[in-house]
This record gives sequence, structure tokens and C-alpha cells, in this order.
Amino acid sequence: MATIELSRIAHTYEPDSDEPVYALKELNLVWNDGGTYALLGPSGCGKTTMLNIISGLIRPSRGNVLFDGVDFTDLPTSKRNIAQVFQFPVIYTLMTVEENLEFPLVCRRMPKKERSRRVREVAELLNLRDKLKRPARKLAPDDKQMISLGRGLVRNDVSALLMDEPLTVIDPQLKFEIRRKLKQINEHYGLTMVYVTHDQNEAMTFADTIVVMNDGEVIQAGTPQELYNRPETTYVGYFIGSPAMNLIDSRYVDGRLETAGGSLPVPEGVSIPPDVQTLQVGIRPKYVRFTDATTPETLSGQVNMVQELGNSRVVTVEINGEKIRMKLSPDTTIPEREVRLSLPEEHICLYADGVLLCRDEDNVCLSVPHQPGSEAEPMG
Amino acid sequence: MKTIYLALKYLAILLWTSFVALPFLWALTTSFKTANGVTGGATYIPWLQYKPSLEGWKVLVRTGGQGIDIVGPYISSAIVTLSASFLSLALGTLAAYGLSRFSYRLGFLKNSDITFFFISQRIMPPIVLAIPFFLMLQFLGLLDTIPGLILVYIALLLPIATWVMVDFFNNIPRQVDEMAMIDGCNPIGAFVRVILPNSLPGIAVAGLFCIIFGWNDFFFAFTLTFTKTQLLPVAVVALNSSVTPWWSLSASALVSVAPLVIIAFFVERFLSSGKMAGAIR
Ligand SMILES: Nc1ncnc2c1ncn2[C@@H]1O[C@H](COP(=O)(O)OP(=O)(O)OP(=O)(O)O)[C@@H](O)[C@H]1O
Ligand SMILES: [Mg+2]
Repeated sequence: MATIELSRIAHTYEPDSDEPVYALKELNLVWNDGGTYALLGPSGCGKTTMLNIISGLIRPSRGNVLFDGVDFTDLPTSKRNIAQVFQFPVIYTLMTVEENLEFPLVCRRMPKKERSRRVREVAELLNLRDKLKRPARKLAPDDKQMISLGRGLVRNDVSALLMDEPLTVIDPQLKFEIRRKLKQINEHYGLTMVYVTHDQNEAMTFADTIVVMNDGEVIQAGTPQELYNRPETTYVGYFIGSPAMNLIDSRYVDGRLETAGGSLPVPEGVSIPPDVQTLQVGIRPKYVRFTDATTPETLSGQVNMVQELGNSRVVTVEINGEKIRMKLSPDTTIPEREVRLSLPEEHICLYADGVLLCRDEDNVCLSVPHQPGSEAEPMG
Repeated sequence: MKTIYLALKYLAILLWTSFVALPFLWALTTSFKTANGVTGGATYIPWLQYKPSLEGWKVLVRTGGQGIDIVGPYISSAIVTLSASFLSLALGTLAAYGLSRFSYRLGFLKNSDITFFFISQRIMPPIVLAIPFFLMLQFLGLLDTIPGLILVYIALLLPIATWVMVDFFNNIPRQVDEMAMIDGCNPIGAFVRVILPNSLPGIAVAGLFCIIFGWNDFFFAFTLTFTKTQLLPVAVVALNSSVTPWWSLSASALVSVAPLVIIAFFVERFLSSGKMAGAIR
């Protein structure tokens, strides 16, 4: 078991180039022992690169990898206590399922008896029990992926399991089941789990901590609630949550926020830096409500579109060219055309240049990446 | 429609089969002829058209110092071809794995250039190499010896083995090696325990090429030997005298081709069993 720390890690695949493109820009990140993490971000943002650095398949161009404070940067992959599952199953084609599962233990020279016991245990867990004697290459893709996972789980020395979009080849019903199993394994063995995905729902349901990346940088790391309620950048607000966070352009005039559909008060506790004039008002669709009041705290607009999503309906309201989306329960009555919207102050996030302006009560803000117990510095 | 397709298919196969097989059949009948049978116009069917004799096949038996036989050269050829192929395969496979998995820099040369450099050795016409090889072997005192020929053949076969294997390894996803390392193998362990067993089809193909090229080479076997050592292709040609012994030539040709046919048969079996494709997934 170990806490894994990435300290000032940066990586480029073209070290000889005069102007190397960094797949990972300098970052600090701590993976706490026993945590479940989801690494979320668009294609090509450096997720796989980061995992490969942790497992030692890639040596970072700069920075250090620390396991429990000990520098492991130069330790070869085979000596690290890391298991990894790739996006597509990797099986040893000439071996049976059993031999596949046993392989990591054979490499570690574990006695035969102990080996079989562990293999049986893992096969039981992953529903591979009755397939043990079959040639691995004859199995269906999802079973093959279970083998890949199983080879990580049989080992008794693993402190972290890294999964790189492991469920791509698996059909949706099973996905849910497997994620649940992974959670159980995490609780039972205290294994740190890092799960790469670009599906936010997968991330939300699986992880205690979500790390959002974009273009080689960690944008925000926090609990699903933190990311949902207080996205530190408009990017996170946009990336997390469905539908995405509403972002309304506004100008800061005479202590109020002037938007296209009316003016809003500045939420309590937010201090706006002196030189800032244009701001974005962010609010989650589920917090926007219809109102009858015509107080200055409301915006007026027209209903533009209603989408039925079964358990909810998404209403798009147009206010002078800007669209605001609302997520309502399916039995809400939707007024004809002209509507007034209330944007509850406590749910508003204000962004200047795409970055969240803190409230006094926010204890987490702008320490990207935020990790409890880390000595993370803001990125340069 | 379907029958027409089938008929055409079998017709095509038949044409091709006769195209490939007829020369062999011709050699086969010729090998049982004597001088009379050969000179009197084309004949094909033994007993009916000519009187079969075993004269031609005598080259296959040692005649105890007297006469010419191809037994000795046959053995020499086998030793040279097999040793050179084995060593080329061993070295070539290692080189290919390195070229496939690691990045090398030699000045401005990168992996692909190095791979091309290997195969470019075979672009040169052999005659260009004959004199350097001759001088080098002379320097080493290995002219007209089996070890000398093995060395030269390694130089000729290694590029082929490397080239075939680089291509093969490039088609095995890196993830397989990476997985093996995560599972606890060091890089060499990953190669030996996981990649190598999966590469047998590639090795079989490369080996087949090596054996074919090595076994059939005439030029270097001819230029680098004199009297002590003789390889099969040279020995077969040496059967020629004032009267061309078509019968012995045919018999020798058939026994020369036989091992290649047998090997090709097995390698083909091996490849078509689907092991070539898909090391993973
Ligand atoms: N072996 C490599 N050589 C050169 N560039 C690479 C290599 N691997 C990745 N890159 C580049 O580094 C960047 C980050 O790649 P990475 O694979 O880490 O992204 P990712 O977040 O895992 O993407 P995806 O979601 O598509 O898997 C990309 O721009 C990619 O093109
Ligand atoms: Mg990836």
C-alpha cells in the first residue's frame, strides 16, 4: 500500500525537438492510499501518458515519482507494485486462462500451491471459474478484459490498480456490474484505483476524487460534488454535468452584473478584482427555476425548446440571444413563451477569464490541483 | 451460376498446377532415362516410350572414391545452410526486436533507416561482394572451408531474417510487452517468455526464407570454394561433362528441391492454422 506522488512531472515524446510539445505539462499530484480516482479528460489530453509514468512504462522527461515518499522514478516497471489494465484486453494468446492469470505469480516465483489458490480466488471473483482451462484467445472480448484485470488482482503486492478506459470493449449492463465489483475490491483490499475514462457518468459513479485534465494539464481535482457545485474553471463546468453548466456573459456595472436578460446581484462573499469588467455567470441547469416575481433578481426570456429525457425535462430559454438551460422534473408545468427565471444566488459561480472567483466560505479554490495532504503548488 | 464459378475456379487451379508441376514431372521422367531416351525426341511415359534405367540416380550413392556423387556436397550444403540460417535467425530476431521496440539514433539515422540499411545489403548484385568476401576469407584462412561459407551466408541471410522479423514484431502491439513488464518480467523476460513464443510463425517464415536462399545459392558457393569443400548447387553443375548427363542432373535437381518442398509444406501448415494473425485481441 502506498501513497503515490507525482512531483513536478512533465513529459514530452519529442525530447530532441527544439520546441518540444509537452504531452504533460509540469504538474504535482498525489494519489492517496486506498482512494478511488477517475481521470477525466478529452482524447489526447495526456491521461495514458500519466498512467504510464506511474507504472514506469514511460520515464518522465522531468520530475519524480514518489511512492510513500521514496523516489521510484528510475525503478523499472516490473519492480513497481502497480497493476495496469489497458483499453483493449491484452492476453497471452498461447496460454490458457489459468496460465494467463498465473503468469504474474510465476514471474514472482510464488510456490505452485499458493498460486493455484490465488488464481481460483480471482477466477471466482471475475466469473472465470469455469473457463480456467480454456485457451485464452478463444474467449469473448469482455472475458479477455477480465483476464487482464485478473492478472492485476492475483498479485499480493499490488498497491495501485491503474485502468485505462478498461470497459470500452464491454457491453453496458456488464459495465455497471464490473464497476460495482471494482468498488468492492477497493473496499475489501484497500487498493488505490485510478480509472481513466472520458465518460463523466462513469467517473462520477466510480470515484471519490475526479481529476479533470485538458491539454496536458490538471484543471481540477476534487470530489464529484465539488466538481459539480464549484467548478474551478468554466472548462470543468462545461465538461462535467449534463446538460453542461450555463455560462451567461455579463458586465460588472455599479456593483451589479448586467446580463442580456436583466441584471443580477453579485453573490454574497464574492469579491470582484478591481480591474475585472466582464464576467461569466455560471449556474447548473437544475438550479434555475421559473418564477412569477418581477424583482430585479430575475431574468426574462422566451421558452425556446423542451426536451423530454424521461426522468427529467430540459427546457431551453432564450434571453436576448443567450440560451439558458433548465433541468426540471417531468411534471413541471412549463409556462407559455414569456417566462422569468430566478437564479438562486447561492448556486451561482462567477468566472473571470474562465477562472472561478472564490467566495469567502469556499475553502477550496484555485489551488490546482487540490489534493488533501499534498504540498501541491499552483502550476507555473 | 455457382457451378460456372466452381468450374472456372477448378480450371484455373488445374492450369496453375500443371504450370508448376509439369517441369517436375519432366525432370522425374528424365531422371530415369539413359542417353538414348534423351536424344531421341521428347518422350514421357516409361516402358511404353523408353526403357527406364537407374543410371541417373547413381549420383545419390557414394561410389567409393570412383565416379561422381552428390552425397558429400549434400551434407556440406545442409550443414552450411542450417548453421547459417540458425545463427541468422537468432541474431536477426534479437536485432529485429530491438529495432522494433527501442529507438536508436546513429547521427541522423533512425530505426527505419537502420532497418533499411540491413535490407539494402541485398540490393547489391552479388558480384560486387565476391571480391571483398574472397579477400576477407583469405585473410582469415577460411577460403574453401565450411566455417568460411557459414560466415558469408550469415552475412547474406541476416538482413532477410532481420527484415522479416522487424515487420513481424511491429505487428505485435507494444502493449503485450508492456503488460508482461507490469506482470513482473524485465524487458528480456518479456521478450523470451511472451514475445518469442508468439513469434514462432514469423520465425518460421524468416527461417524458410533463410533456408531457401542459403540452400539455393550458387554464386558464393562457387566463388569461395575450390576443391576441398563443395556445396550442392556447385556439385550438380559439376556433373556436367562433355556429354550433358540430363538423367543425373534431373535426379539431383529433384533431391535438391525435396527438402525445401517438405519444409515449405510444414511452414505453410503452420501459417494457415491462423496463428500468424492476432497475437492479441
Ligand atoms: N508514443 C507516443 N509518441 C508520440 N506522441 C505520443 C505518444 N503517445 C502519446 N502521444 C501524444 O501525447 C499526447 C497525450 O497522449 P495520451 O495517449 O496520453 O492521451 P490520452 O489522454 O490517453 O488520450 P485518449 O483518450 O485518446 O487515450 C497526445 O497528443 C498524443 O498524440
Ligand atoms: Mg489513452
